[in-house]
Amino acid sequence: MEAAAWEPVALLFAVTVAGVFLLRGVAAAVRTVREPLHTGPFSGGLEPREHPVSRFHVRWYPVTMIFLAFDMEMLFMYPWTKVVPEVGTPAVVEMFLFLGILLAGVGYAWREGAFRWT
Amino acid sequence: MLVLAAWATATVDARSTGPGREVLRLLVQQRRITRAADIPLVRLGTTLLPVAAVLAAAVLPFGFRSVSDLPDGVVWFNAMEALAWAAVWLTGWAPNSTLSLIGGYRFLAQGLAYELPHMLAITTAALGAESLQVGAVVDAQSGLWFAVWMPVAFGIYLLSALAMAFWGPFDQPAGADVAGGAAGELSGVDRLVFLGGRWLLLVVAAAFAVPLFLGGGHGPLLPGWAWTVLKTAAVLGFLLWARRRVPTVRMERYVELAWVVLTPLAVAQALVVAVVVLAR
Amino acid sequence: MDLRTRLTRVALAQPAVLLVTSPGATRERLAVEAELERRDWPQAAGPASADLVVFAGTPLPVREDDWAERVWQGVPAPRARVTVTDAVHAAHALDHGHATLLKPGTQHAGHQGHMNHQGHGADHEHESGHGEHGGAHEEHGGHEEQADHGGHEGHGGHEGHRPNGEHAAHQGHGHMDHGGMDHGAMGHGGHQHHMGAVAGLPMAERAADRDELRLDRLHVPLGPALPDWPAGLVLRLELQGDVVQRAEVDPVPTPSASGPAFWNEPWLRAMTGEPVTVGEAARRQCAAHLDSLGRLLGVAGWIDAAGRARDARDSLLGGAGRDELVPRIRPLVRRLRRSWTLRWLLAGVGAQARGPVGGDVHSRLIAWLDAIEHALDAIDGRERLPARPLRGPRGRVDTETPPSQSLLDALPELLEGAEFACARLIVASLDPDLDELAPQQLPVGRNHG
Repeated sequence: MEAAAWEPVALLFAVTVAGVFLLRGVAAAVRTVREPLHTGPFSGGLEPREHPVSRFHVRWYPVTMIFLAFDMEMLFMYPWTKVVPEVGTPAVVEMFLFLGILLAGVGYAWREGAFRWT
Repeated sequence: MLVLAAWATATVDARSTGPGREVLRLLVQQRRITRAADIPLVRLGTTLLPVAAVLAAAVLPFGFRSVSDLPDGVVWFNAMEALAWAAVWLTGWAPNSTLSLIGGYRFLAQGLAYELPHMLAITTAALGAESLQVGAVVDAQSGLWFAVWMPVAFGIYLLSALAMAFWGPFDQPAGADVAGGAAGELSGVDRLVFLGGRWLLLVVAAAFAVPLFLGGGHGPLLPGWAWTVLKTAAVLGFLLWARRRVPTVRMERYVELAWVVLTPLAVAQALVVAVVVLAR
Repeated sequence: MDLRTRLTRVALAQPAVLLVTSPGATRERLAVEAELERRDWPQAAGPASADLVVFAGTPLPVREDDWAERVWQGVPAPRARVTVTDAVHAAHALDHGHATLLKPGTQHAGHQGHMNHQGHGADHEHESGHGEHGGAHEEHGGHEEQADHGGHEGHGGHEGHRPNGEHAAHQGHGHMDHGGMDHGAMGHGGHQHHMGAVAGLPMAERAADRDELRLDRLHVPLGPALPDWPAGLVLRLELQGDVVQRAEVDPVPTPSASGPAFWNEPWLRAMTGEPVTVGEAARRQCAAHLDSLGRLLGVAGWIDAAGRARDARDSLLGGAGRDELVPRIRPLVRRLRRSWTLRWLLAGVGAQARGPVGGDVHSRLIAWLDAIEHALDAIDGRERLPARPLRGPRGRVDTETPPSQSLLDALPELLEGAEFACARLIVASLDPDLDELAPQQLPVGRNHG
C-alpha cells in the first residue's frame, strides 16, 4: 500500500526530469549559436574588483534562529493534527501552551529588534 | 495540464509578450556563462525549480483524482515547495555575480518570513479535516468550505502562494532593482527552465488553495474537474489583480509583519479550529 | 538551417530591448521609450535577457573603461545593437536593429568584430554633427547598427583566462572603438596573474562592519547601464552582504558639446530672453516629475503604476490637452497618495532631517505628487514666464551649481548603511539629472524642436 502510493510519484519525478533534459536538448538543437557566451558579471557595465561570491553578511541571522525553533515545533504539529479528536482537550492545551511559549520568545525577539535590520 | 495552466496564466499576464514566443526566444538564445561561474550549480538550481513544482503537484487533486493521494500529502506539498529555497539560492549564488547573489539571499530572507505563517495555515486546514491526506481535506469540505470558517488561514495562504513563487508583490529575489536578481545572469534555456519553473510553482501554489480551502472539486451541477479549473482560475485571477495594486514588498519590512502579526494570527486561527474540532 | 532561421524570425518578433542612456540623451531616451511602448516591445533588465541593445546617445567610457562594449559583450546571440543619437530617428533605428537581428547569417561564427569597431569609428566622425539637432538633418540615419558576436568565437579554448585578460586590459579597451583593435589579441596581450587570484580576480577581503565585526567586503561599481537608473550615474559601492558600507559618486563623463538639459529647457530658454509661456514650463515640469515618478515606482516594483506615470508623461510631451490629461493623471496621483502599502514600504527610508533633500523617500514622492498637481493646473497658462526666479523641476536653474549637483553630493551620506533595495530607492527618490552637469550650452537662437 505504502510503496504503491509512491510509485506514481517516482514516475512523475522521472518524467519531469526527462522533460527538462528534453527541453535542454531541443534548445541545444535550435539555438542560434552553440558555444556558450563567456562574459563577466553585470552590475551596470563596470567590473567588480573581487569575485562576488563571498561570505555574505546576512543581517537577518537572528530570524533564522527563531525560525528554527518554530520549524522544530512544526514537526510536532503535523502529526498532532491527526490525533486531536482522539486525545481530546489535553492535546489542544499542550500544543497551544507550547506555541504560547514560542510566541513569548517571538515577542522578546521583537522587543530586542531582531526583525528590523536597517 | 499544469503546463497548460501556467501557459494560460502567462497569456493573461499583461507584461509578457506571449508565452509561446517567449519560450521560442529563449530556446534559440545562446547560453551564457559568467566568469568563474559554478556551471553544475546553475544547472541544478534551475532544474530543481520546475521539478519541485511538479512534484508538489503530485498530491494536487484534479476533480477528485490526483497523481497519488499520499497519506501525508499536505506535508509532502510543504516539503517540495520548500525545495524552491535551495533552487533560487543556488541559482543566485552560482553565476558569481553580485546582483544575482543578492537576489538569491533575498529569497532566503523571504522564506524565513513567509514560511511559518504558511505552515501554520496549511496545518489549520489539515486540522479541520483531522487528516494530512489531501483527499480527506477535500472530503471534509463537501458542506462548508474551509475558506469560510478559516478566513485568516486562507488569506495567509494566498500571501504565501505569491511569496513562494517569488512573484508579483514578492518578486524581490528576481526584482528589477537588482537587474533580474537570481535570474539576472541567466539566458537561453537556463532562463527558460528557471522562469518556467517559477510559473509552474505559482500555478501549483494557487491551485493548492482549491483543495485546502475552496472545497476542491465540490460544487453544484458541473463535474469535479470543471470546478477545480474554475476555482484555480479564480485564485490566479485574484493574484494577477493583486499584483497590479501593490508595489514590491521588501523583506526587511515584511519579516516584522509576518512574525509579529501574521504568526500570532495564524496561531489564533489554529486555536479556534482546534476548539471547533474538539466540540464536534 | 532554414527551420532555425524561421524559428528565430517568430521568436524575435518582439525583441527584448536593453535601453542604455548616456547623459545628455534624455530626448533620445524618451523617444525610444515611447516607441517601445507603441510597439509593445519589452524592456530587458540586463544584458542576459536582452536581444537588442539600444544606446540612447553615444556612450562615453568611464575612467577609460569602455563599459558599453562590455555590456554588449554580455548579450547572448542572437543580438544586435543600435545607437540613437537623434530622437527623430528612434523608430528608424529600432527597425534597423530589428532587421539586423532577423538577418540570417549575421549571428553565426566567423563574423568577426572588426567591422563593428570600424563602424564605431565612422559613427564618431559624424557624431559632432549630431550633438545639436537644430540645424538641417543631412545626416545619414543618425544611428549605427551592428550585429556580431564576434569577440567570443576567437576565445574558444581560453575560458579560464580570457576574463583575466579582459580585466587587465582596461586601458586597451578605451582605444578599442577608435583603433578597431582586435578584441581577442588585446585580451591576451594584457595577460597577467595576481597572486592567489582565481580567474584573474582576487577574492573579497574582510573589513569591519558597523558593529566592528570583520566581514567580507566587495567593491562593486553600480551603473551606468541599470534599469530605472539616472543616466550616466556610476556609484562605487563597498558592500557587505547587501548592505552598502560606503558609496562614492564617480565623476560623470559628459559629452564635450552638450545641448541644454532637456528637463530644464524652458527655463534656460527664458533665461536667454526667449518668450516662454507659463503653460509650456508647467508642462515640462509635470512631465519631468512623472518621469522621476515612473523611475521610482519602477524601482519600488509597482510596474502597473510606473507604466501609467510613463504613459501620462508621454502624452504630456506629445502635447495632449488638459481635458485629456486630467482624467489620466488625477486618479494615478490619488491612488499613490492613498496607498498604505507604499507608505509602509517607503516611509523612513533614506531619511534626512534638513537640507535640499529633507524628509524620506515617501515624503519626496508626495512632494512630486504635489508638484504634478500644481503644474497640471497651470498647463494652459498663456502668460509669459517671469524672468526670475527660474525654478526648474529639480530646483533653481539660474544659480552657479546646478540643483542635481547638490542631490549627488547628498547621496554618499544617505546611502551609507542602507540595504541594497533601499539604496536603489534613495537614488531613485533623489533622481539627479546628470544632463544638468554638462557644460551648459545655452539655447541661443535655437528653434524649439
